[in-house]
Amino acid sequence: MANERLASDLAGIVGDRFVLLRPSELLVYNSDGLPGYRRKPSVAVFPGTRDETIEVVRLLARVGVPFVPRGAGTGLSGGALADDVVLLGLHRLKRVISIDAENRRATVEPGVVNLALNRIAGPLGLLYAPDPSSEAACTIGGNVAENAGGPHCLKYGVTLNHVLSITAVLPDGEVVTLGSDSGEREGYDLLGAFIGSEGCFGVALEVTVKLTKKPPAVRTMLADFVSVDDAARVTSSIIASGIVPAALEFMDNATIRVVEESIYAAGYPADAAAVLLIELDGLTAGVEADVAVVRELCAAGGARDVRVAGNEAERLRLWQGRKKAFGAMGRLAPHLVVQDAVIPRTRLAEVLATIARIAATHRVHVCNVFHAGDGNLHPNIPYNADDPDESERVHLAMQEIMRACVDAGGSITGEHGVGLDKLNYIEMIFSPDSLDAMCRLRSAFDPDRRANPGKVIPIHSCQEWKATPAASRATAGTTAGATA
Amino acid sequence: MIIQERVREAAAQSNPVRIAGRSTWLSAGRPVAATQTVSLADHSGVVDYVPNDLTITVRGGTSLAELSRATGAEGQWLPVNPFGSDEGSIGATVATASSGPFAHGFGTIRDLVLGVEVVTGEGKIIRGGGRVVKNVAGFDLVRLMTGSWGTLGAISEVTLRLYAKPSHRLTMAMETPTDARRLAERFRGLLDAPIIPFALELLSDNLSQRIGLPPRQMILVEFGGNAAAVSAQRDAFVKIGAAIEAPPECWDKLRAATSGTKIVFRLSGLPAGLAARWDFAKQTLEESHDTLMHASIGRGIVRCVAPDALSSTAIEKLVAARTNHTMILESAPADLWKRISPSAITDRVSQSVRRAFDPMMILNPGILGPVN
Repeated sequence: MANERLASDLAGIVGDRFVLLRPSELLVYNSDGLPGYRRKPSVAVFPGTRDETIEVVRLLARVGVPFVPRGAGTGLSGGALADDVVLLGLHRLKRVISIDAENRRATVEPGVVNLALNRIAGPLGLLYAPDPSSEAACTIGGNVAENAGGPHCLKYGVTLNHVLSITAVLPDGEVVTLGSDSGEREGYDLLGAFIGSEGCFGVALEVTVKLTKKPPAVRTMLADFVSVDDAARVTSSIIASGIVPAALEFMDNATIRVVEESIYAAGYPADAAAVLLIELDGLTAGVEADVAVVRELCAAGGARDVRVAGNEAERLRLWQGRKKAFGAMGRLAPHLVVQDAVIPRTRLAEVLATIARIAATHRVHVCNVFHAGDGNLHPNIPYNADDPDESERVHLAMQEIMRACVDAGGSITGEHGVGLDKLNYIEMIFSPDSLDAMCRLRSAFDPDRRANPGKVIPIHSCQEWKATPAASRATAGTTAGATA
Repeated sequence: MIIQERVREAAAQSNPVRIAGRSTWLSAGRPVAATQTVSLADHSGVVDYVPNDLTITVRGGTSLAELSRATGAEGQWLPVNPFGSDEGSIGATVATASSGPFAHGFGTIRDLVLGVEVVTGEGKIIRGGGRVVKNVAGFDLVRLMTGSWGTLGAISEVTLRLYAKPSHRLTMAMETPTDARRLAERFRGLLDAPIIPFALELLSDNLSQRIGLPPRQMILVEFGGNAAAVSAQRDAFVKIGAAIEAPPECWDKLRAATSGTKIVFRLSGLPAGLAARWDFAKQTLEESHDTLMHASIGRGIVRCVAPDALSSTAIEKLVAARTNHTMILESAPADLWKRISPSAITDRVSQSVRRAFDPMMILNPGILGPVN
């Protein structure tokens, strides 16, 4: 009943067509890119303009209803799932507000698709560097929420390094501008805090991003190995050489085979234990010299063959196999889990061997396809979630893999975010005081914690704060400070 | 950790403290109402360094010189080199978000910090980020601490991304037109040229002279990479204008040229407006002949270094021009701070953040403007 009333009020803002209430209509929003998690929103609302979005957020603030912002729903952490709260879909806000080629920046609405921005920037000799594998579907707003990466962030940096300013509506309805699209900004880096806040700090309405000049030369190489260990060690040696490749991707035999059997076949050697997809870019003269060095490192490290893409079509084909590898895994089993841990790049060979041991112990099928250059692993396990025994084995294997990565000095997530999926792992790497500090930061943006509730930090890590005298002392502290 | 004990004691007694790195950089000049100083000078040294990972973890009080020695021994560097002396600490560099000319090629310190450990205003030790090069776990305390001027905590440890030193480097200088329109064309030519410089800085004639170059308005550029990349860039650069090779020490001289001065400020805005911004600064500061100026061409930032007080006419012009440019003071007398930049953290979210990390408001009170 309450939901119907709310839906009707929301429809008053966005129109009937853009509010969903029936379970059958909401079904499609029950999961994101990680189909193992399912949560049913109470209502879904899809504003079409910036003003409608602000009005929706203000209405939700007035009635005190929590909400979950969502872009294209391609996320891989269960972060965009609404558990009996309002789902706020932003994909209709897809206006490119301005492109300023001279100053190399673009201002877009949050629903603009990553690749759509690149289609506009490309003919101007520019590119938007962060390129998550879901670039053809994912939105800039979602990229901001997750601080998305992608293969090329090895050299060019993640979303954080490419956003100049954001106009956002905070959960209480206040509209703020974070950062600056023309010049420096002093004060706290609230822009930096907002990027990667997984929809917990507010809703981006306008995002101004940096565009990068396209490098004059790009060379894409495929090195194939008969041993996983050799491929891992060559990765470490390329990084140690000081060359910063534009991208350095790793695919193991299990991944190669599934890609080659799919419509995304890229011509990877099906009998290789692993391949490295290495891209070097920069000035023509310098790149050729780097290609020679990388070729030598691969050969010295045991590569069977190193092939350089001869033309753009061949280059794109090599990339297609990599970018569509997750999708190709749909051939193996109905469900897929994927991890996102990051480890120091010198530990790759050792951790991959540990992952293989864990997979064998629990009899699960691991496909490794990942951003080797920055140590960002993506062990994928295709499985059948309807088989309780298999699900349990997958779950145990995932836990052990995460433990191994953390023990190697790593982090639990490099680009997918914590969301729901890694909620139970975050205490492996942060102390209760650190988590409490993060909760306080969240509260500065969203004191009622209505935006994307229950994500990123386990609730029990936050409750401590409200109970301690610190919160009440804060007010006293203000007064003392004023007279100091 | 002694820093933690000192902050805890201060918090217990509500005693305001000044957080200092190595106390070698002059204070920004904003009045800090502190009764004692907590220094990180003795909290220094390398905690963890695996050269092949190109990351290093050091204590907050580690000097930039020590960091440079440790990484240099492995053929690596942190390409920050902020304006000022290498005796400053890495903790202060992060806390003040200080950058130097290499921000053109490598980004600012914000882009290079991977993890921090911080002692909060309650004396709690918290960590953000980690020791790996890519990390989105939890909310971003690293960015929050960067540029917070010690008001959210004392930065006790920092993990940084390093780069390998290139096998070849080349410093060059080029005389530039002084007319704003032609200067703008020159900038465009440089930014569109097939060069990927580490640094690309415009220098006023007196600054050029100060660092040993001909006394003209010059562009100073740094190229690095393999032999082929550097020589291709040299060829592309000399095509744009009459260029000379310059000694690499120019960069350190440029960084040092600001020390001991009273007023330092930056004007920024859209990069394409740099030539006009430079012209405005030049005309405004015409009377103070000793003012040195330089600008990051790619980033569109003009930095002005005045050894003495500015005339009141100049100050009025600067205040009036804030609608066209963002003006950020690095160092200035108290009255100028009040005039130009009363407070950087008046908004609701910033105020809440401040109280969340320093409920008693004891850390560097006043350094970001009056506490309210």
